[in-house]
Amino acid sequence: MGTLMKASLFVLAVLAAASTHAAEPTGEAMAATCAACHGTHGKLGIVEYMPLAGLSEKEFVRAMQDFRSGKRLSTLMGHVANGFSDNEILAMAKYFANVK
Amino acid sequence: MLNRRDFLKAGAGLALAAALPARAANKSAHVVVIGGGVGGATAAKYLKLYDPELRVTVIEVNRSYIRPYGSSEVLTGHASIDELVVSYDALKSKYGVEFVFDTVVGFDPAKKQVRTAGRQSIAYDKLVVSPGISLQYQAIPGYSAAVAEVRVPSGWIPGTQTALLTKQLRAMRPGGSFVIVAPPNPYRCPPGPYERAALVTEWMRRHNPTGKVLILDPKDSFVTDATMQLGWHRLYGYNIPDSYLSDMPAGVKNSGKPSPIEWVRAMDGGATEKIDARTLTVMTKQGAVKADVLNIIPPMKAGKLAFDMGLTDASGWCPVDHRSFESSVHPEVFVIGDASIADAMPKSGFSANNQAKVTARAIVDQLAGRVPGEPVWSNTCYALAGSDYGLFVADVFRLKDGKIARVPGERYLPIDAAPAKIRLAAAYQQAWLKTFTEDCFA
Repeated sequence: MGTLMKASLFVLAVLAAASTHAAEPTGEAMAATCAACHGTHGKLGIVEYMPLAGLSEKEFVRAMQDFRSGKRLSTLMGHVANGFSDNEILAMAKYFANVK
Repeated sequence: MLNRRDFLKAGAGLALAAALPARAANKSAHVVVIGGGVGGATAAKYLKLYDPELRVTVIEVNRSYIRPYGSSEVLTGHASIDELVVSYDALKSKYGVEFVFDTVVGFDPAKKQVRTAGRQSIAYDKLVVSPGISLQYQAIPGYSAAVAEVRVPSGWIPGTQTALLTKQLRAMRPGGSFVIVAPPNPYRCPPGPYERAALVTEWMRRHNPTGKVLILDPKDSFVTDATMQLGWHRLYGYNIPDSYLSDMPAGVKNSGKPSPIEWVRAMDGGATEKIDARTLTVMTKQGAVKADVLNIIPPMKAGKLAFDMGLTDASGWCPVDHRSFESSVHPEVFVIGDASIADAMPKSGFSANNQAKVTARAIVDQLAGRVPGEPVWSNTCYALAGSDYGLFVADVFRLKDGKIARVPGERYLPIDAAPAKIRLAAAYQQAWLKTFTEDCFA
């Protein structure tokens, strides 16, 4: 790879990181959008939806990535997961992992 | 009823002694929420979750809530109207939300007070208004609120009209026409009229097999679109319009036989010009359509209270700052739910729920002297083409240049979705009615 190309890729990476950091909702704010199906704080008594509270970070991140890639089948979760960046998915994962 | 000037005066002429102090020294702030629907209830609950010290009072006219989402299932007997009733008890006992069951009749934005019909003056630090919709019956010549109660129900806000429409469907003559007049944009629950048409068609196959459902539409497309029409086609032999055939999976072909469900678009003359309630006739561009049961879902605007409080603009909806949903007209007043202008967000219960949370967070941050963080919203709506045939729309929304924009990408059920996915979406639709109600009210 040429130096120039390496340099421009580096610039792109920095820009991408900057743009995702510029305006990112908190994990709590994003998790609140999930709650309308998955229960307040991700806590849920019924069986149809996955309760998210207490899921490990790793499990949550993998599930969202697999929904995004289509590796994991879903009804609408693929579309929803596509609306969030990797950083944001991690922030949600941290939030749900810490719900007692 | 008071006109707007009287309404504002009624708020202004308060005896100061009677007014509850908004925020005595070192006391918690008082947030007042007007309206106990999805938006108001969710706001109240999440305000208390985000700051348990806050005093939160909901002013609502009804002692319990009748949920509109899923209410078309009453027509087909899948649900009873009693099953739609949601209690406010959990908001009171679990979260300490206070309730005043009364009607707001006055508003003084300068003194930050509202006044109720029961002559209570209630002062606020922040005011959340979630007034829902008002149905514009009179926008259709020949139609009125009075006609809707006795002859041509809308059943769009569940209650007596839902019961009347259910009775009319059951009493319809064999082979009769159930005509649904769909509303123009924007309106509450975009897939709703088309789901209702599907559920009534399904019901008729069992109970009135020669009956027909006809949708008269002032629009040329609707939310869920091709995916809903494919469901109608598979389940009821619906003839797909030519312009949609190219979107369909390979092998989908119209039979050409008359179908028990028909959709007349604006381009085909579906827009209603006037009705004759006595003869149940709808006059369209295409000519007169005679109904046996006529269900009109009229044009909509913000709830009446929003007009009384002066929160609407010329569009009949409420302009807001989208970071917090603070009114563009009155500071410290936040308008959420169907009544607000939320750009790309649909007027749905899910949207109202998500807006309520963003607003609750912004209010708590503002009261604590913090700058509210970056907002995010989503909307997912499952809808039915039949009891076991589910589909959906799903979106994430972000603030972009001060406007709420949809994150681009797929939003519907894939047109070639496997039968298992379709069945699962129907199961999730039923589950959602429960989990969603819990997130808002319990």
